[in-house]
Amino acid sequence: MIEVEDFSFSYAGNPKPALTAIDLLIPPGQVCAIVGANGAGKSTLCFALSGFIPHFYRGTLSGSVRVNGSSLSDIPLSDCAGEVGLVFQNPFNQITGARFTVLEEVAFGLENLGVGRDEILARSQEALAATGLAELADRSPFALSGGQQQRLAIASMLAMRPRVLVLDEPTSQLDPAGTEALFERLDILSSSSDTTIVIAEQKLELVAAFAHRVVVLSGGRVLADGKPREVLTSPALEAHGLRATRYTQVARRLRSAGLARSTLPLPMTLPQAVEFLR
Amino acid sequence: MTGTLYLPRDSFVHRLNPLTKISLALACVVAGSTLPTLPMVLGVFVLVLSTMAASARLFVHFLRACFRVIWPFAVSLTIVQGLFSEGTTVLLDLGPFNLKAEGLLSAATLTGRLLVGLGAATLLTLTTRPDLLMHSLVERGLPAQTAYIVVTALQIIPEFRARAQSIIDAQRSRGLETEGSMLSRLRSLFPLVAPLVLGSLMDLEERAIALEARAFTRRGHRTSLLEIPDSTIERIARWGFLLLTGAMVVVRVI
Repeated sequence: MIEVEDFSFSYAGNPKPALTAIDLLIPPGQVCAIVGANGAGKSTLCFALSGFIPHFYRGTLSGSVRVNGSSLSDIPLSDCAGEVGLVFQNPFNQITGARFTVLEEVAFGLENLGVGRDEILARSQEALAATGLAELADRSPFALSGGQQQRLAIASMLAMRPRVLVLDEPTSQLDPAGTEALFERLDILSSSSDTTIVIAEQKLELVAAFAHRVVVLSGGRVLADGKPREVLTSPALEAHGLRATRYTQVARRLRSAGLARSTLPLPMTLPQAVEFLR
Repeated sequence: MTGTLYLPRDSFVHRLNPLTKISLALACVVAGSTLPTLPMVLGVFVLVLSTMAASARLFVHFLRACFRVIWPFAVSLTIVQGLFSEGTTVLLDLGPFNLKAEGLLSAATLTGRLLVGLGAATLLTLTTRPDLLMHSLVERGLPAQTAYIVVTALQIIPEFRARAQSIIDAQRSRGLETEGSMLSRLRSLFPLVAPLVLGSLMDLEERAIALEARAFTRRGHRTSLLEIPDSTIERIARWGFLLLTGAMVVVRVI
């Protein structure tokens, strides 16, 4: 559960606000995608939702961010970790270097949380299996490829089982199969354990298929917020540096050329497109 | 690839609790520096350290590692002590200087003492996983942050070297001269070092975030996936080594 109320933030030394008047209520079990062009404020929002703003990045802020009922600026950063998990973009820097094997790297967070040994092992192995890394468990984390390191960063967070999981462009180095597998995993996570998931992501076709809700950021403001099919097929999307999925683009052209008579809303995924054209 | 010297083997020495090995190493270092005669000092090296290295199936590695470090000391000690120390038994008359037997003996004894200390440290690092070593110290009260610095340094230094190489490659592909005269090498230093340092500082920020996200600074009880073997016999042995160490120090002082 995330409650953001009238939240504004500007980084120290930069008068231009990075986020302005954000209002968001994300209930448990919801997968909320944040989309927007580069520099729209996605990463800043992810940091604000995970406590790194205001604890790690200083600046001027107003409004409040509450996660699972507690205000993040009131609890120390070291206690935020149990509540909110954050996966960020650069996979290499998410390898802590504190441990020598992939399995131990995943276990590191659980050790810090004081989880019992048997449970550490079970949860770490489960997280590695879920991210397709089980066979690399004994490797050095530094011997992995970029995509494998990214999956390791995700596995390390999954193992900690936070009730709120924030992912900032976690698929930048993943291949298409790995990206889809991650979204499927997030889908299962949200429905089976009521985990609140916020994911900043550029791959709109996957957002369209898996997100329950899409928030469009531009210039640090929320421009649109709603169901994927409403937001991602809106003609206003392109004005903010985002391109609708290819299915939406084709359907829109067909409709404007008078070639599609369907009264259905514009499609954004393959199954929707098939139905639209039938 | 990591920066550790640890060589995994299936041996009894490898399976010992790291603390046992530390206290044994400590006892050897103290023995090496307090025992009065050369045969006694060499006895520690041969009977204790080399025997353990052999049973760890690392005998050749062990001797090679010791030799590589000890020979410059041996050579310089032989020259300095052999020629300049007090003594009456002249072995070789070299005009203003004489090579004396007493000097050679004292050079050999000093080298032997160094060799024992070096051998103890080498045996410990060759047979002990650094993370287990650090973890066993954390269990005894070493701050987790200190242990982290040691373990990370071992892993990140090779990464750092790889990054430096890729910066060199990138700058050369843009036409930077990194070879040739001293002046052109010096001139190329800044465009190589600046991105390395700045990039590492930026990494530092993200690495700190990654650690915080993994609850690294959380207070309270920590657990561990790693299990460190320990037994009553080892615990008794550890106390034995420590008592022995203390006794040697006391005897030496008296």
